[in-house]
Amino acid sequence: MEIYVDLGRCICCHACEVACEREHGEPNISVEAVRYRASVPVSCHQCEVAPCALVCPSGALAKGASSVSFEAEKCTSCGLCLLVCPFGAIDMDSTSMVHKCDLCPEREVPACVLTCPTEALLYGDQEDATKELRRRAARRIAQSYAAAVGRDRA
Amino acid sequence: MVDESLVPTVCPYCALGCGFYIKLGEDEPGIEYMLDHPTNQGSLCPKGNAALEILNHPDRLRYPLRRTEGGWVRISWEEVLAKVAEEIKKTVRDHGPDALGFLGSAKCTNEENYIFQKMARMLGSKNVDCCARRCHSPTIPALNRAFGSACMTNPISDLANSDCIFVIGSNFAENHPIVARWVLRAKDRGAFVIVADPRLTPTTWLADLHLQINLGTDVALLNGMMNVIVEEGLENRKFIDGRTVGFEDLLEKVKEYTPETVAETTGVSPGAIVRAARSYAKSPSSVIVYSMGITQHSHGTNNVAACADLALICGQLGRSGAGLYPLRGQNNVQGACDMGVLADFYPGSRSVNDIEAIHFIEEAWGAGTLPVGMGMTAETMPVAAGDGDLRFLYVMGEDVINSDSSSSRGRRELENLDFMVVQDIFMTDTAEMADVVLPAAAWAEKEGTFTSSERRVQWVSRALDPPGEARSDLWTILEVASRLGLDFDYAGPEEVLAEIGRVVPSYAGISRERAEARGGVIWPCPYPEHPGTPILHQEEFTAPKGRARIVPVDYLPPAEESSLDYPLLLTTGRVVLHYNAGSMTRRSFSLMRRSPELFVEVNPDDADRWSIIDGDLVEVNTRRGRAWARARVTTRQEKGVLFMPFHFPETNQLTSDVIDPEARIPEFKVAACRIGKMKGV
Repeated sequence: MEIYVDLGRCICCHACEVACEREHGEPNISVEAVRYRASVPVSCHQCEVAPCALVCPSGALAKGASSVSFEAEKCTSCGLCLLVCPFGAIDMDSTSMVHKCDLCPEREVPACVLTCPTEALLYGDQEDATKELRRRAARRIAQSYAAAVGRDRA
Repeated sequence: MVDESLVPTVCPYCALGCGFYIKLGEDEPGIEYMLDHPTNQGSLCPKGNAALEILNHPDRLRYPLRRTEGGWVRISWEEVLAKVAEEIKKTVRDHGPDALGFLGSAKCTNEENYIFQKMARMLGSKNVDCCARRCHSPTIPALNRAFGSACMTNPISDLANSDCIFVIGSNFAENHPIVARWVLRAKDRGAFVIVADPRLTPTTWLADLHLQINLGTDVALLNGMMNVIVEEGLENRKFIDGRTVGFEDLLEKVKEYTPETVAETTGVSPGAIVRAARSYAKSPSSVIVYSMGITQHSHGTNNVAACADLALICGQLGRSGAGLYPLRGQNNVQGACDMGVLADFYPGSRSVNDIEAIHFIEEAWGAGTLPVGMGMTAETMPVAAGDGDLRFLYVMGEDVINSDSSSSRGRRELENLDFMVVQDIFMTDTAEMADVVLPAAAWAEKEGTFTSSERRVQWVSRALDPPGEARSDLWTILEVASRLGLDFDYAGPEEVLAEIGRVVPSYAGISRERAEARGGVIWPCPYPEHPGTPILHQEEFTAPKGRARIVPVDYLPPAEESSLDYPLLLTTGRVVLHYNAGSMTRRSFSLMRRSPELFVEVNPDDADRWSIIDGDLVEVNTRRGRAWARARVTTRQEKGVLFMPFHFPETNQLTSDVIDPEARIPEFKVAACRIGKMKGV
């Protein structure tokens, strides 16, 4: 399970960051805008082959069935995970404690996904997410096509 | 298991009225998402997510304070209430009731605003107004004239049913982010989105067609679109003939606004104007979404009239997916207007010049003679204070100084008052100038109703206790009123709401119980069993004979043009992480850490010319003042235009004080200015 992004919907509002920060103390997702032309929310992708878990010497980070888990008690704050994460999605707070997205285990759906005003964030496994993205794309195209050939929109 | 309880509430920031829960338990109060709320479906923007950060803030006002030569001194409620009453009596005795001014608040409940204006008017003062003057005051006369009713016609979620969404002067992706949810749903259905804005914003990211118009040229663009529509015969004749008057005058007026002429004024290509016009007119259902980019101009009323005209000639009103959306700013600005906290209206949009309507109110209130005629507005009260005509000002929940244009002038003028009372949750710059400051409860610490932009009336429950001795504004006003001999006998906000129902016809069917239900009620709700009215003007308009009036208007340039001394134009607006004058968001840690300081956006060509590089501290000057800000060099706006958000106090020292002649709103959106690197502090 992970958080997917429908990029065309992100409006760079930072709601996901603020929601995550409220729930976790520090934000585990961040939104970057590029020259005010587009923005991208970045958080842990729960990689299949997770470099952070591979390099973690203490086993604090571990690849589970569907996500990368983190056990704070085992963490030595060595910072190797920060160096290898290709997305910069792991960070340390001011007390040198590592933090990353834990998919809000106490919730059915993570807070960032619930709060996203534009439904740009999707939660699910790869199949759920790509299915929803395909559904949205197909719907847009089908509606425009229907209008273009003179059929009523649904 | 921790004993948690969820108290439903309504977001205190913008006017969308999003619902969420305040989660109470052993820890600090938290937020839980309300997935079944009809407007936001659980989602919240960053400000909504940070809403609780201001409640327990160390800066909260906790006790009544009196100004002394040695600074602020804590006094008792008994003492402060007696002092306020005594000053009001003294002012009336020495200078008459017209020397009293009352500024209500679009952040306070309907019940508080209703009682506030009732007290002012029963004291004989006409001078009642609120910050609606600075946001949608042009909407009121223009839409009242056009439709007979000055509000948003359809619910926010109905945007999803539209086939063409024309946005002009609204950056909703930053200022009303939940609107983007419904616009994207419409796009999923194939809707065409047009955004007219001088800047590139996250809202323009959603556009299929971005019309990057020159500042303040909205009427030219709208008339140009109408020119195309009537030239190509795309107007809706059936709607025009059956439901409107005045079309012939418009035909005459828009003749000269050919796409080619308009292209020169607006900077938008003739082809884009034609494309926008055709898309809007031909789509089965179109909406117009507008906001401060339309209203905050010296010709704001004309701008709104032109939007209404476009909707009327195309018949894009009165059904699902077709309507006009003036996106309101504050969480209760619609409600404050409905309650008559406006210099031109008694409750229920009853004109202050309508003698019969005033007799009705006199009877309802058991009052003697109530004042007739237009009072001073939020903009003219400071001027009158400067001239010595206004002696006493009572401000409930507003930072007048930082919200007003040309703010250093306002500050000088307010210093001239004999006495000023400010009731607020923080020591704002306005409160700093007061003689006494009364600590107020914030939205989640009191109860009552708020009316959102979509006319949705929702009850807010008291989830938490106010800090120290802070009290609800309703309690405070009732205490003041009782010391002035006014017979205000209300057991609580429910009883005030019941009286509102008797005085404001569209609220007649709204009780606490109905407002407390999920999503509340959308007015007009004329009787208790009435389901509410999400879509206005379906059968007929509220205007005389049920027919809307098409009011053709001419394009007028903004009041200030660039000159040798002031070669650039400054426009102002908002960013997603802040809110209005910033007294709340600038005290919110998670928002401030993301947007910590005032900035000015400069086009790279202008930056080159004035030797500014990204990140420089620069000084911006206008005829009224100067401000320092961090430069952001960006192509978001074209050469010659600077942008600054007004959430930091400096910005409004620069803005223009030229006002719209009818709505009396200042032209926040255009000021001639110059920029330069800051020379030593």
